[in-house]
Amino acid sequence: MIVGLILLGGGAAAGLFGSLLGLGGGILIVPLLTLAFGLPLITAVGVSLVCVIMTSGAAAGVYLERRVANLRLGMTLELFTAIGALAGAMVAFLIPEHVVEGIFAVLLVYTAVTMARRREPAPSVDAAGTGIVEGRSSEDPDAADVAGSAAVTDRESTPFVETLSGPDYRVHRIGPGIAGSLVAGVASALLGIGGGLVKVPVMHVIMGVPLRVATATSNLMVGITASASAIIYLIRGGIDAYAAAPTAIGVFIGASVGSRVAHRIDLRILRMLFVLILLYTAFEMIQKALG
Amino acid sequence: MTTGPTVATDRAPVRLERSIARLLTGGTYLAIALLAIGFGLMLVNGISPLDPAPSFDVRQIPADIVALRPTGFLWLGLIVVIATPSSRVIASLIGYARAGERRMVIVAAAILVVIALSVVIANELAA
Repeated sequence: MIVGLILLGGGAAAGLFGSLLGLGGGILIVPLLTLAFGLPLITAVGVSLVCVIMTSGAAAGVYLERRVANLRLGMTLELFTAIGALAGAMVAFLIPEHVVEGIFAVLLVYTAVTMARRREPAPSVDAAGTGIVEGRSSEDPDAADVAGSAAVTDRESTPFVETLSGPDYRVHRIGPGIAGSLVAGVASALLGIGGGLVKVPVMHVIMGVPLRVATATSNLMVGITASASAIIYLIRGGIDAYAAAPTAIGVFIGASVGSRVAHRIDLRILRMLFVLILLYTAFEMIQKALG
Repeated sequence: MTTGPTVATDRAPVRLERSIARLLTGGTYLAIALLAIGFGLMLVNGISPLDPAPSFDVRQIPADIVALRPTGFLWLGLIVVIATPSSRVIASLIGYARAGERRMVIVAAAILVVIALSVVIANELAA
């Protein structure tokens, strides 16, 4: 019973941190389960995939309701994240554990550096649906959709990439977007993360999608990306039902709380604390990888 | 002259996205409820999350649920978690088909093919 509650609390802490700092929480679940609870890496990745699908599900629902996420763009790119995830999950069971641990350590350091350099807090990735600080209002969705839907009647005769654009921005360079999506899918399947660390920069910097839309759309895509590989983990015995339940519930609770308190917390101090935790976790992961 | 039908079509994306939003939120809360019941039964039965879990067997789930065994609720909850994004794609496919957007229908169908491939490949690898 005690272990269950500790796991629930650990999941809640991961979800809280993830939500407050604009991450999905997956980056913390794998180290938590492997380093603190001694679970095999492949099982930790499987459980983490379940957690990221669930936290993204509720958040993506709200992003769509508030018309922040771009469904067309998300579906087009998630076709390729799903292909990448399928490929990643097929090789995940073949790659030696210490290699994946080494890759994960590199990811942790990269995330820590990214967080340390970030000046403004990222839009919160919430689970309960209240944390979209920068999202467009849903009070008048029909009005908000006028520009975006003006081309509905002649979408079939318009170049496909143009139909992916939003009401106040244009999507371009779909090729790099597809390549980035494939990479994000492989990373998600191998490491149990949502892949937003790849998708958001690709959409925002390369494809010209506004940051808040890129974040929301990435969140929407996480579900299909992670489920494509989670199916393989589930059927091949890579998901531990006993460990998954308290962790997923904890992550969901933590992310819900985080989305509600994000505006009251000084994120600068929290971010630096998080950077230190990530670096320490990376150090531990490297040690584990080196045996 | 074509204002009526055009307006109706223009509002279709809003309705579709709202439907999908409700589907995603509902699926997530259903999954949480099932996992919470399963976890509650784990606590009642003194099962630790670090105990070896039974392997996944979809045929065993109904019997486990009827017998109030935690694994039935846990596996069903996990299936709902994993299936919710796919159900969103199915809903999108239907919505885009109704709106006559063939290219998005193809995209949605291709995603479902990849998901179906995952199931097939997983079963092949497991065998």
